[in-house]
Amino acid sequence: MTLLSRNAEQLFWLARYIERAASLARIIEIHSSHGRANADDLGWAWLVALYSNQAEFAERHADQTSRNVIRFYVSDADNPASIRFCIKAARENARALRAIIPMDMWTQLNSFHNRLLALGGDEFDVVRLARTCGVIKVGCYEQLGVAESTLYRDEGERFFKLGLMIERADQTSRLLDLKFAQLATAQAGGAGIADTTFWALILRSAAAYQAFRRHEPRGADPARVARFLLANASQPRSIAYCADNIQTVLEDLRRIYGLRQARRALERLDSLGNGLLTAADDHDLVGRLHAVNDWLQQQLIALTTELGEAFFGLEPPMPEPAGQTQRQTQTQTQSLS
Amino acid sequence: MGTLSALKDPKLAGPFDGYDPKPFFCELLGTSAQPSKPLVGIWQRLQSLDVTTLLRRAADAERELFNLGITFTVYSDKDAIDRILPFDVIPRVMTASEWGVVEQGVTQRVRALNMFLWDIYHDRHILNDGTVPAALVLGNGNYRPEMVGFDPRHGTYIHINGTDLVRDGKGAFHVLEDNGRAPSGVSYVVENRHMMQRAFPDLMQGLRVRPVSDYGERLLGKLIEVAPLGVTEPSVVLLSPGVYNSAYFEHIFLAREMGVPLVEGRDLVVKNDHVFMRTVAGLAPVDVIYRRINDDFLDPEAFNPESRLGVAGLMRASKAGHVTLANAVGTGVADDKAVYAYVPRIIEYYLKEKPILPNVETHICGEPDGLAYTLDNLEKLVVKPVGESGGYGIVVGPKASRTEIEAVREKLAADPANFISQPMVDLSVCPTLTPGGVAPRHVDLRPYAVTGKHTWVLPGGLTRVALKEGSIIVNSSQGGGTKDTWVLEEDAP
Repeated sequence: MTLLSRNAEQLFWLARYIERAASLARIIEIHSSHGRANADDLGWAWLVALYSNQAEFAERHADQTSRNVIRFYVSDADNPASIRFCIKAARENARALRAIIPMDMWTQLNSFHNRLLALGGDEFDVVRLARTCGVIKVGCYEQLGVAESTLYRDEGERFFKLGLMIERADQTSRLLDLKFAQLATAQAGGAGIADTTFWALILRSAAAYQAFRRHEPRGADPARVARFLLANASQPRSIAYCADNIQTVLEDLRRIYGLRQARRALERLDSLGNGLLTAADDHDLVGRLHAVNDWLQQQLIALTTELGEAFFGLEPPMPEPAGQTQRQTQTQTQSLS
Repeated sequence: MGTLSALKDPKLAGPFDGYDPKPFFCELLGTSAQPSKPLVGIWQRLQSLDVTTLLRRAADAERELFNLGITFTVYSDKDAIDRILPFDVIPRVMTASEWGVVEQGVTQRVRALNMFLWDIYHDRHILNDGTVPAALVLGNGNYRPEMVGFDPRHGTYIHINGTDLVRDGKGAFHVLEDNGRAPSGVSYVVENRHMMQRAFPDLMQGLRVRPVSDYGERLLGKLIEVAPLGVTEPSVVLLSPGVYNSAYFEHIFLAREMGVPLVEGRDLVVKNDHVFMRTVAGLAPVDVIYRRINDDFLDPEAFNPESRLGVAGLMRASKAGHVTLANAVGTGVADDKAVYAYVPRIIEYYLKEKPILPNVETHICGEPDGLAYTLDNLEKLVVKPVGESGGYGIVVGPKASRTEIEAVREKLAADPANFISQPMVDLSVCPTLTPGGVAPRHVDLRPYAVTGKHTWVLPGGLTRVALKEGSIIVNSSQGGGTKDTWVLEEDAP
């Protein structure tokens, strides 16, 4: 069946935006319902660092107050980093895909989007925030569930899955990086080793709490948590799991659908897999975690660029100035034609 | 209304109590204020539901249309607002024999218009012998000299046609307008039916209503018939201006129902006069394009150079016979409001048959007699600018204020050729659900004819209803809604 390059890109970003909104909603939900025990966690400024949005945030708000940060990440429809923007962008992609995707995928997303639009401002108040984000997270899960149940398994579905897995790997990598940086800062400031609550927050933010408890009954320490989220092949939000899936999908594209352009991306996946193995075996994983994550982020960005050039008909991007890792959005990757 | 009350239980209030179509032809009750024999059963079923139930089910249906995204989008500076086309839950019902007349009449008309287009882009007999004034055609803004000498497959220029019909006080159909460029609305015909089947399964139960859901398959079949010669398995696409077009839902619908790619100009490229689409596997050939982009914007190389919606080189590929455009370029000259007045003569000229569906009487203001008559009778006439669509610029004499009449008089004097006038047509009415109960509202009908080698007409078509009391303007941009249209399999269900 014919798959337009534009539609492949839209499937890729539909999944990315849904996964991004789900991650963001889960992180906010978890931190507003479980984070209260620790007075240090009441603020939300760290979210800005998590997503490397310092510059964009400063354009919109003077202070990183909780109210401003929550507005920035949840309800501000014009901010590409917000949940509301992600759902809107996902819906716009889905709208252009309506002739292709199952009707139930579109209908779920459209009514979800309409429900989100109808939420009043008080739904984002601190007291209701966890509940609201929980509802949003479930709306995203529903979309992924409908896709899993009904989306035809052709090339299009493979691009959907690529978007899903790349975004998920990106989210997990950012979370690991930021949380371990927080830990290092706290220790440098003389605070003791992180307690159970701290580890539970990270694990719950990655929807990995129960699995970790069962896998590591002796409890959490930095190396175990890092290894679990980085390299555990059965944990659906670990980098290794995502990388495996990306590799399988790329192989399908090359083998089943004869898309030989997948070759370059597959080579990158080989080196990504090797890098993960090396990192997992490293005795000083915790010490080197920031470097590993930095490298991972670069790999994911390069992969997205390669997919754009190989399949979406995008021009190679202009070289970017060196600096902190950017958060990719669809508008950034779309070429001007 | 004595005859009606005999049909219902006098002890129960029904939604039709007090329903009075007055002097108009009623789609359900005819002229006798009594349901014609085949429709009694439907009337009784409707009468057994109370107004509250009807209103509740109507609200459910509208909410569902919204969530299904069966909407058109209105763009303001900041927001995109999705609106549903208001949907009235009381269907318009036609018997098999009523429909038969429409079906034959529409088929006849489309055939004649295609022959007219062939003639004016080839030998021009009809112009040379003065049957239709040459200036009207050759000086028309929608006439495309690029099409001279071009031979479309099976002589078909208008592949998809919508004919707007109204019914006079006696129930006779008249053609109000032809739409031979890119008529829209067919998606609502099919979706309205789905909605009725969900919201009113009890109303349809046991009735044999002709299906409409095979429109996509039929359309694809016809488009395959007109593929370039020698192409055995043609690749068909639907070309849309994109998500910002207000009819985008319909483009999605048509692509989905045909199972073909929904492309935009940026997805297509012309190389060596062949058209290709950009896919993940590279360039793939395109043989037939159902295009929902106007002539002007179709090909920046041939027409408007500013167009970013079209594809450069499309006209070259079409003229080389490597791709079929549906509808063909240049059909706008046949559905023009000024040419419309000549269509009965066009039918007789090519087919040697009497028109099955007459025109509404039309005065051409570009001709001295027509202008004089129009100026003398402005209070009685409907004046229409010929270049507009969507109901814009229409002045309804009997309902217009003195100021409006004088304003149109000035416009007529300044540019008479830009107008036609017609007497007030008594549009038929159909029982329609209003917040205050069931009331008569004016309707028209747009059947869709699809032509490849031959013509197929979708049973029924789009019934548009003017929801405002007394209004005869059914356009969605001016307060119109739609109804499901049922064509019964037989005359007696």
